[in-house]
Amino acid sequence: MIKLYDYELSGNCYKLRLLMSILGVDYKTVPVDFYPGREHKSEWFLKLNPLGQLPVVDDDGLVLRDAQAILVYLAAKYDAAGTWYPRDNPELLGEISQWLAFADGITSTASAARLHDALFYDFDINTARAGAHRLFRILDEHLWFGERQERQWICSAKQPTIADIACFPYIMLSEEGGISRQDYPAIRRWCDRIKRINGFIVMSGVFPAGPAKAA
Amino acid sequence: MLEDVRTRWHPIAATDDLPLRHVFHGQLLGREFAVWRADDGYVNVWENRCLHRGVRLSIGINDGRELKCQYHGWRYSNRTAGCTYIPAHPADAPARTITNRSFQAVERYGLVWSSEDPRGDLPVVEGIGEDDLLVLRAIPVNASAELVAQRLQSYRFQPNSEIAGTGTNIELVAATEAAVALRSCQGRAETLGVFFVQPVDSGRSVIRGVLSGRPNDAQLTAVLRYHNEALSKLREDLEREAAALPVPVPIEPIFERVSEELASLPELDSRGRKAAIRVQVARKWQTADGIMAFELRPIRGLLPTFQPGAHIDVHLPNGLVRQYSLTNGPGETDRFTIGVKLDPASRGGSQCLHDSVREGDVLAISEPRNNFPLRRDALKTIFVAGGIGVTPLLAMAQTLNNQSLAYELHYFAQNEQQLAFSECRQALGNAVMPHLGLSPSDTVNELRRLLSPYLPDTQLYICGPNPMLESTRSLAAEAGWPEAAVHFEYFKNTNVIDDSSSFEVALARSCLTIKVGAGQSILEAMRDAGVDLPSSCEQGACGTCLATVIEGEPDHQDVYLSPSERASGTKIMTCVSRSKSTRLVIDA
Repeated sequence: MIKLYDYELSGNCYKLRLLMSILGVDYKTVPVDFYPGREHKSEWFLKLNPLGQLPVVDDDGLVLRDAQAILVYLAAKYDAAGTWYPRDNPELLGEISQWLAFADGITSTASAARLHDALFYDFDINTARAGAHRLFRILDEHLWFGERQERQWICSAKQPTIADIACFPYIMLSEEGGISRQDYPAIRRWCDRIKRINGFIVMSGVFPAGPAKAA
Repeated sequence: MLEDVRTRWHPIAATDDLPLRHVFHGQLLGREFAVWRADDGYVNVWENRCLHRGVRLSIGINDGRELKCQYHGWRYSNRTAGCTYIPAHPADAPARTITNRSFQAVERYGLVWSSEDPRGDLPVVEGIGEDDLLVLRAIPVNASAELVAQRLQSYRFQPNSEIAGTGTNIELVAATEAAVALRSCQGRAETLGVFFVQPVDSGRSVIRGVLSGRPNDAQLTAVLRYHNEALSKLREDLEREAAALPVPVPIEPIFERVSEELASLPELDSRGRKAAIRVQVARKWQTADGIMAFELRPIRGLLPTFQPGAHIDVHLPNGLVRQYSLTNGPGETDRFTIGVKLDPASRGGSQCLHDSVREGDVLAISEPRNNFPLRRDALKTIFVAGGIGVTPLLAMAQTLNNQSLAYELHYFAQNEQQLAFSECRQALGNAVMPHLGLSPSDTVNELRRLLSPYLPDTQLYICGPNPMLESTRSLAAEAGWPEAAVHFEYFKNTNVIDDSSSFEVALARSCLTIKVGAGQSILEAMRDAGVDLPSSCEQGACGTCLATVIEGEPDHQDVYLSPSERASGTKIMTCVSRSKSTRLVIDA
């Protein structure tokens, strides 16, 4: 069974729990005391991931690090319908990779601001917040024009992809880093859509949406 | 200056920002809004804070009829913004003071408009036709509205059909501190652009542009992108300019206390039943054999908040006052719907409504009162309705249905033709189960089957004729239902009231002692002494005139209190019940 080295409050761990829940993949978690224990910098953990970062999965001996990379692996291997990471669609794979890199940008800005505010990390908070707002403006514009072209998700597929899952957590947790989403109405609507995907689960700070209106 | 701005209408969102089941996060002059569209289309603009712990309602859940706070689940009703349910107090109807502040909303020019304190109507914008316009993507700007409006005057754009070209002629049609209108002409092509500036806070604004004429589908996205790009560029310049200016002090919104009208008790006249609301009979229809339905709409303003199980007093043209349960589902706050059965032994109430009251007539009604509140924390709820007793239970069933909570509504009647409110029943589907034409003994057997065995965390609500109610209650007791899980509402008290006693009542809070003589009720004696208590049915059925007993032994003659409430000796219905002791002390 998949073993997820996990920290409950980490958005990057949550995105893996979220995808595995949506895909109905069984897994067990190994809690890692990220704060205040700094267990991700401990000797035993550095052997798993020399970068000293969460999350890490161990799937029957295959050890992988990096949230976005693990999303790719999980979707490619366990999504029977092949919609979350459509392996035979080069255009979409390009789009997905582009937004996975964007999700890394969200981590280094919005997540950094949250680590500063909530876990007392010594980051330049103004730079982190400004960086997040710059990215949110780009995504809001992208999603707003998407709505006009009947595109519901970040990539141009009819179904959501791992790009949505990769971007979602640290956007949803941004207010814990002092980054309001008030100016991003299209992002707020997209968040509702994600919350209505079958199998959606929450974490601390991520609230559920009500059901959509039945057609 | 700020006062002036507060009384003006401002756009706060685009119509497209309010899809169903979403809550938009808005802000105007420092004040945050939770903006949501109910399934009936009504746009709610509310103060963005739950009255309980101040959590933003913009992260709440719009269920189409009510908005639920994420924190402790308080629910607020469409239109009225009144609280309808507090999960921590599942057996109680929330106080009417728990009403969130709401603001007016108007949808026009593809935008949603609101104001803190609007004076006058929304201004008409010349040259923009409601059916032929294009709303641009809103551009939030970190700069004051004043600066944005100034710089917008030099905004340049091509007419819709010529966006690839250059060198258009721009005419400044109008400019205020809240909007700029520009006309772009090139040859015969012409587009009017009106750019409203929403003052979000002292240093933040939103540019909301509307163009005359909707481009064809092929050009639509190109025009939208063209302006999005140009306005984003303008934003860059504006934000650079604003960053060099001193940071303005944020606007402090004024949070008002609950309105005086809500904070005070409903007005009472000498008879204790003031009917302050005027409604018009918008629709009257026969909903079943011998049952007329009435849809009542407010003459002006909004109807007050109600919860499932609530009833209103209806003041009839012939001077009589009658109580009727509201059948409305949650969020149906634009109208009250009641069902009236013609009573062959009518003393003039149901007959007057059936025969004399017509569509278009104006009636006086009271605020809704709820002495039959619905718990929403049961694993399953069973409703047992007899005949017209279905009315409060329909309101309850719709509530549970809306929240996807498990329930069954067993509806006993003589035949199909006697089943009322078919439309509403159809919407509830298979959860409504009619039981038709059963003899009294078959009815008992059926009820026994339905009520056994008692399962924990099940609640039972009964409303119907007295004999059926009595037998349902005793069958439930037999099957092991705890008294607290059995809720009932009688139409009327058929007990013969013995009012031959005379005794003394001390009103502890009013520091008065009054004598209650034979033939007089405690309630009447209190009112004679100038102490008023709300009342409604005045026959010991509805529960409105309940008082707390501090000392003495009540002589219960009502049908409202449960056996254990009676046995506790701490409650009394002052309209019919009396005292066995020579002196009764009540908290009034």
